[in-house]
Amino acid sequence: MAKTLVIQPVTRIEGHAKVTIQLNDAGNVDTARVNVIELRGFEKFCLGRPVEDLPRITPRICGVCPWSHHLASAKACDAVFGVEPPPAGKKLRELCNSIAYMEEHILHFYFLAGADFLLGPDADYSIRNVIGVLQAAPDIARKVVKVRHLCAKMLETLAGKSIHPQAAVPGGFSKPLAPAERDELRKQADDTLELAKFSIAFAKENVFPKYLDVVKSLGVITTGFIGTVKENGALNLYDGKLRLMAPNGSYQDFPYDRYTEFISEHIESWSYLKFPYAKQWGEGFSMDVDNPKGVYRANTLARINVCDFIDTPLAQAELEEFRAKFGRPAQLTLLYHWARLIELLYNAENTIRLLDDPEITSTETRVKCTPRAARGVGVTEAPRGTLIHDYTTDADGLITNVNLIVGTTHNNAPINMSVTQAAKSLIHDGKYDQGVLNKVEMSIRAYDPCLSCATHRLDGKMSVKLDIFDVEGKLLGSLAN
Amino acid sequence: MREIGQFVVDQADIDQSDLPDFCRKPTVVLGVGNILFGDDGFGCAVVDYLESHYPVPEAVCLLDAGTGVRKLLFTLCLSSARPQRLLILDAIDARRSPGEIFEVDPAEIPVAKLDDFSMHQLPTSNLLRELQETCGVEVRVLACQTGPLPEEISQGLSKAVSDAVPQAAEWLVREYFPRPARSPVKNTYATPCESAGGVV
Repeated sequence: MAKTLVIQPVTRIEGHAKVTIQLNDAGNVDTARVNVIELRGFEKFCLGRPVEDLPRITPRICGVCPWSHHLASAKACDAVFGVEPPPAGKKLRELCNSIAYMEEHILHFYFLAGADFLLGPDADYSIRNVIGVLQAAPDIARKVVKVRHLCAKMLETLAGKSIHPQAAVPGGFSKPLAPAERDELRKQADDTLELAKFSIAFAKENVFPKYLDVVKSLGVITTGFIGTVKENGALNLYDGKLRLMAPNGSYQDFPYDRYTEFISEHIESWSYLKFPYAKQWGEGFSMDVDNPKGVYRANTLARINVCDFIDTPLAQAELEEFRAKFGRPAQLTLLYHWARLIELLYNAENTIRLLDDPEITSTETRVKCTPRAARGVGVTEAPRGTLIHDYTTDADGLITNVNLIVGTTHNNAPINMSVTQAAKSLIHDGKYDQGVLNKVEMSIRAYDPCLSCATHRLDGKMSVKLDIFDVEGKLLGSLAN
Repeated sequence: MREIGQFVVDQADIDQSDLPDFCRKPTVVLGVGNILFGDDGFGCAVVDYLESHYPVPEAVCLLDAGTGVRKLLFTLCLSSARPQRLLILDAIDARRSPGEIFEVDPAEIPVAKLDDFSMHQLPTSNLLRELQETCGVEVRVLACQTGPLPEEISQGLSKAVSDAVPQAAEWLVREYFPRPARSPVKNTYATPCESAGGVV
């Protein structure tokens, strides 16, 4: 008998999602969808505001990745005003980015994904959570708390506050770094590097080998990838050019402000989240798992795939080992976790590199800006994927148009495809259990999605309508506020 | 050794400088919400009001957590030291009168309802329950009923919710700010109270 399975809410991700799996009469999976049911409306909310307000507003899009929005917004403002921050201003922004990254990647690996790997995907639901992690590995939990707290303290030293940052401004960074502050940060940075080294060593020894079968089979799809690289092809998470890689590994590079020539957005009626796809490939858009069209992925695995190399030694060594095992581009979805740890290591090394740079304590951290009618695009790599802020202003510097493509949005189609693949491979003859449903969730968690900021289109209306369908698709009723 | 719920923690192992204030201090008050979204900024407004109208005792960590409270709660769950009392200040729509202040006990939230809670309506209800039931932290949530949804999103509290801010602050001060110990006063003159036969 046909049946609809609903996993709601999807746990241990940021934001609000529902997975709907439709079984056919034989009890096998017919369709699977990730319905995103959050609506934030920021694009509409920003219209008419002074553009310099946006680096203060956009960190509150959801509060999970505030630094990424803050920096992308500041860069978009730079472009709108037509200014270039001084080197110290750029380096301070990049330093904050690296530290915030470490906090995020530690959060995801140990808090969100950790329960699956430390306790096992089939562990009872009542312990497969943060408290379960603490029970299973109290010493690791202690290290994690200490280093995350260090990262927060470092950001407070640099920017005055770590929650809802305001220090990146159009034209640069508002607060120079004093030499005594730099010395204190430098000591703290050593501790973050130690945890990064520990994390990847621990995972390679205790986690990935144990779950290699799951890694090789769960949510596996074939797509292209997008990420930022420097001019020389090295990984960079703050600035550079965009690289769009096809599934066969060929790629095109382009500057930020040409992204609309390469990416377009598809909309489905059953989700508030858009579906970006690579229109440049000329094949249209399809989420058919066996024959996808135009689908690409962002986030950690994508960045590791698109970069030619990493210009910090320890992370580069890890990248070489990773590529020797999995090739380039690597397609296995759960490798997002491995790639995340390589990035954690890169960010720890990059933090030290920036703090050792004499220019980091220069007092010239910003330039003046004058309002004008212009369009500016600012892009950074948020932990969850390529983050695009696209602003247009009038002659008074007031916003007339905003387009945001956040990291998770790029992964909307791939997430749906991975869920479909996972559900079809795990559910047969109508049989499933809690462990199976958790594995379906795992295929989403690998992408570390942040659905809170991914849904931000608002067509000017506040009302929400809920339609209820039976398994034949017949509308049973509607609710609206 | 001190038992925290089911977990025994050797205090000698805890280096206090490794821990943020919201783990170290015995009382933690977190204002949560998004100040850009009208009444959702209630919790942050109460924190702001307390900071500008009352001296905050050393034993209390008062924090505007804004939209970043989940990260703090995750850290609290994993920390080897936790506060004794945690108060969350938030705005929710519970179909009461706009501006009405009421408590929400995480332990009383029906299990089914837990799954319905958005991470943006209450800060991760599951984590709050886990802190209370497994980690032995007294968790209370002071909520304010939001006003009707406006036509457009805008910053700033509605009048009903704005009027509730000082009330919430007064309640919080009574419940959570420890009163300073009163030292005995020596004098040769009776206070009006003593003269009337009362106790000083």
